[in-house]
Amino acid sequence: MDAIERIISRYPEASGKILGVLEDIQKENGYLPKEALLYVSKKLNIPFSQLYSIATFYSFFEIQPIGKHLITVCQGTACHVRGCMRIFNGLLKLLEIKQEQIAYTGKLSITTSDRMFTLNTARCFGACSMAPVIRIDGDVYGNNSVQRLPIILKKYGWIINENTES
Amino acid sequence: MKIQNLDDLDKVRNRGLNKIFTGKPKISVGLATCGIASGADKTYDALKNYIKDNELDVYLTKTGCIGFCRQEPIMNISLPDRPILIFAKVSEQDVNSILEKVLNERISDEKLLCKIEQWDHITSKTTYGCEFENLPSYSDIPFFKHQKKVVMRNCGLINPEDIEEYIAIGGYYPLYRAIKNMTPEEIIETVKKSWLRGRGGAGFPTGVKWEIAAKMRSQTKYIICNADEGDPGAYMNRNEMESDPHMLIEGMLIGAYAIGAQEGVIYVRTEYPMAIQRLDIAIKQAKEYGMLGDSIFGTDFNFKITVAKGAGAFVCGEETALISSVEGQAGRPRPRPPFPAEKGLWGMPTVINNVETWCNIPAIITHGGEWFAQIGREKNTGTKVFSLVGKIKNVGLIEVPLGTSLSKIVYEIGEGGIDGKKIKALQIGGPSGGCVPKKLFNTAVDYEKIRETGSIMGSGGIVVMDEDSCMIDTAKFFINFTSEESCGKCAPCREGLSRLYELIEKITDGKATEKDILLIEELGETIQKTSLCGLGQTAPNPVLTTFKYFRDELDAHIKEKRCPAKICKGLITYKVLTDKCKGCTLCVQFCPTGAITGTKGQPYEINSEICIRCGSCIDVCKFDAISVA
Amino acid sequence: MKDGVVIKINEKEFKATEYQTVLTVAKNEGIDIPTFCYFEGIDPYGACRLCMVKVIKGPYRPGITTSCTLKVKEGLEVLTDTEEIRKYRKILLQLYLVMASDSELVKNLAFKYGVTSSPFSKKFDIKDSLGNKCILCGMCVRVCDALGVGAINYIGRGVYTKINTPYLEPSQDCLGCGACAKICPTGAIKFEDITKKRIMTSWIKTEIPFKECSLCGKDFVTEPLFNFVSKKMQIEVDEELKNLCSDCKRKLFSRKAIISTSL
Repeated sequence: MDAIERIISRYPEASGKILGVLEDIQKENGYLPKEALLYVSKKLNIPFSQLYSIATFYSFFEIQPIGKHLITVCQGTACHVRGCMRIFNGLLKLLEIKQEQIAYTGKLSITTSDRMFTLNTARCFGACSMAPVIRIDGDVYGNNSVQRLPIILKKYGWIINENTES
Repeated sequence: MKIQNLDDLDKVRNRGLNKIFTGKPKISVGLATCGIASGADKTYDALKNYIKDNELDVYLTKTGCIGFCRQEPIMNISLPDRPILIFAKVSEQDVNSILEKVLNERISDEKLLCKIEQWDHITSKTTYGCEFENLPSYSDIPFFKHQKKVVMRNCGLINPEDIEEYIAIGGYYPLYRAIKNMTPEEIIETVKKSWLRGRGGAGFPTGVKWEIAAKMRSQTKYIICNADEGDPGAYMNRNEMESDPHMLIEGMLIGAYAIGAQEGVIYVRTEYPMAIQRLDIAIKQAKEYGMLGDSIFGTDFNFKITVAKGAGAFVCGEETALISSVEGQAGRPRPRPPFPAEKGLWGMPTVINNVETWCNIPAIITHGGEWFAQIGREKNTGTKVFSLVGKIKNVGLIEVPLGTSLSKIVYEIGEGGIDGKKIKALQIGGPSGGCVPKKLFNTAVDYEKIRETGSIMGSGGIVVMDEDSCMIDTAKFFINFTSEESCGKCAPCREGLSRLYELIEKITDGKATEKDILLIEELGETIQKTSLCGLGQTAPNPVLTTFKYFRDELDAHIKEKRCPAKICKGLITYKVLTDKCKGCTLCVQFCPTGAITGTKGQPYEINSEICIRCGSCIDVCKFDAISVA
Repeated sequence: MKDGVVIKINEKEFKATEYQTVLTVAKNEGIDIPTFCYFEGIDPYGACRLCMVKVIKGPYRPGITTSCTLKVKEGLEVLTDTEEIRKYRKILLQLYLVMASDSELVKNLAFKYGVTSSPFSKKFDIKDSLGNKCILCGMCVRVCDALGVGAINYIGRGVYTKINTPYLEPSQDCLGCGACAKICPTGAIKFEDITKKRIMTSWIKTEIPFKECSLCGKDFVTEPLFNFVSKKMQIEVDEELKNLCSDCKRKLFSRKAIISTSL
């Protein structure tokens, strides 16, 4: 909880404090743990339901723990026009995620069963000149093609399944 | 050191000038997000190593993005008393050979884009040198030739992480002039005379907004910079913050002084980490040098800036939703009136302006309102930065006077389509805008003229589409976007956009009828007229403009059950051309649904029931053996 | 003190005080404007979009807008039932019919305006703990927040928005006051009183213990609500009367009053 105190002290101004605190907590934990939200609720005197409401309203927040590596596929206009769905489906195949696992809850965030990768989408990182774009743990990869994906994934410890030949 | 007066400012300026004219070879690499994603950081490292290994006396620094994103990584080399040389697409492997030649004054054409002999920073003019007559000039390059740089005056030329370079080219002198030699009323008059209009999309006259807030009697007032830039395909604001953050800070300082605000908030979307980083650095430096904090320039004007991060919600670009977000709530818009200028952040009078609006202010103070009003045309004054992306040759950020025609932007600056394809339309204004068909490309980028076509200028994102794009699919994409970004507060947007999306899906699946089209139009109009905020009010625009201008494509989809561009998955089938297929199994490995079957060495077969038309197989096939019908 | 203003609704003049909205004036004068998300005690929310009126004259921009947020100003003229408004209202009610398919309130209001069926249909039916009756007017959230409790809130965004407790777990903050159920216009929120406790059925069956009357033993208020109110009240309450149900309290109070006056 000291970590949370430290985070809260980084935001002395009221403006932007809550989102800032939550984002820093997520940066440290990969997601927003329930205990952290309860603590912030007490400390900042904000109803717990309001924090949960915020955590589920904004696309950035994850309320479930994520995998070791976070893959984000950009779904902006330029990327759509240049085939981001192909890249997305390609990743589903390589990570062995079935189409049925995608729940229609408004937020797409799927973690592989071995907890190595979490796949989600975003609505534009602003790297449109290199569409289609994906981001893995903060590294942006542009001009992607389906063939290039295994090469990129291998850098993050992805192993080819024996059933798929290279 | 805290700058308290003009002498101090001049001293810092001289220090900064020594970094612009270093007396030795100076190399700067464009290190904004696009540049780094293209490998500019590797280029920078390669340069560092080359300089170290060869023990050269060369000044290496970073700079922002000059806007020619397709040509990234971009590297500027400045030899003493010589023009700046701009090199394009410089990868780490190119460093050695370019440097070897240039540092020995042998300029080859290799990777050279153009030279810059002198530059108008608006707050000052800089001359670098003549020479290299045979090399192309900046004004010879079609992409640059038709632009007029006011907002992007420093981007790609100064180090965004050094306040002294900003001051060297005349920065913070407009601020000095404003708070020492002008009254708040005079500043507001100047902005009114300039006819500057909000660059976020609404186009509300900035001076008028400031005047309303200035007249409000309140001890506490706020100004907010809307840096939530959520339109997919638009990244002008991101570049403005990454390449020249001090320009934004200075604009906000002048505005705060004019309105009577003591605190400013910059609301940046969290998807822009580098912009946030550069802003933090700039704010820290501005504080160190006395541009932010108490008693600025020794007056009783105090001002501080807080950076508030967004968290992935497009709707927070709407001003009342933005305020809710800054106040620590979900980003749900509030009914207006009351408008933020009366009752905004924490219930106090607040002026919210887009990044680019604030960035124009120092230039306007430098040369006056009339000067700005001369650029562009009546009621559409000044310049606007646009992002030009999609199926166009020159992808990047451009800045043109308002009133420039779309055809000039597409064909002269953008230099037309790619791979010999014909351009069909462009999308302007993001998901709130609409499509403009080629026959209307003579339309000027003018708030009113664009609105007349059914679109809005928006924040300035232009996405070019060619004959391989399906207009209905594009409209569907935008409705998918806005329906997912809807905050969910009001029924027409929340329910209406979802139903609208489902109806458009019927079209792209080939199951729609004329009746569905009428229903879509009625529903679209209802959403436009009854939604609570701008998101809902403009979300149907892409659909309604597409129906208006591309009736032929719409008819093909509903009457002939055919997608002319062969994009809509429900209306196309993938087939293996048995005479071309070698059975190499490559497509099978990449097919996400296992729709391709067959024996190795023999032509394969695609099961259209399972096939989701993702296009992976077409991507990987080396024999062009898959056709789309 | 301002005298008030004169506005025109449907060509007729009405007097109004400066703090009123067109909606409150209309309600007072018996002019029909439908609403879902409006409640007199709470600030207008502007979410249901049914109360649209058309501004034809006055200090506002002409066009249609919500009457619940339209403050009256001298010279304001509005129309409540134009063809345009009827057209949009019809589509809105058709959208509501699909959204809250089990709500009698929606069906009745739609019927009143001639809407009996909907050309729309939902592609995915998302499980709703409030049983397809919730119209997301937000009144439950707003009243819980106004009381200073905030036990329930919106979850998610857009068409996936739901209202319930955080993590969909029984609430630690709920007082069991039942204000949410009382204010819900469609009756989507349910709770059940059994011996010794109140079960907030809609809020993941959160259980709130009752407080017994120290005299007759009846469950008369939930413990958390009792504590909450006691903490908020500044005045000292007679110890004897504090833990009694309203019936016993009244009897004892009157007896005490009679005794004290007869002295």
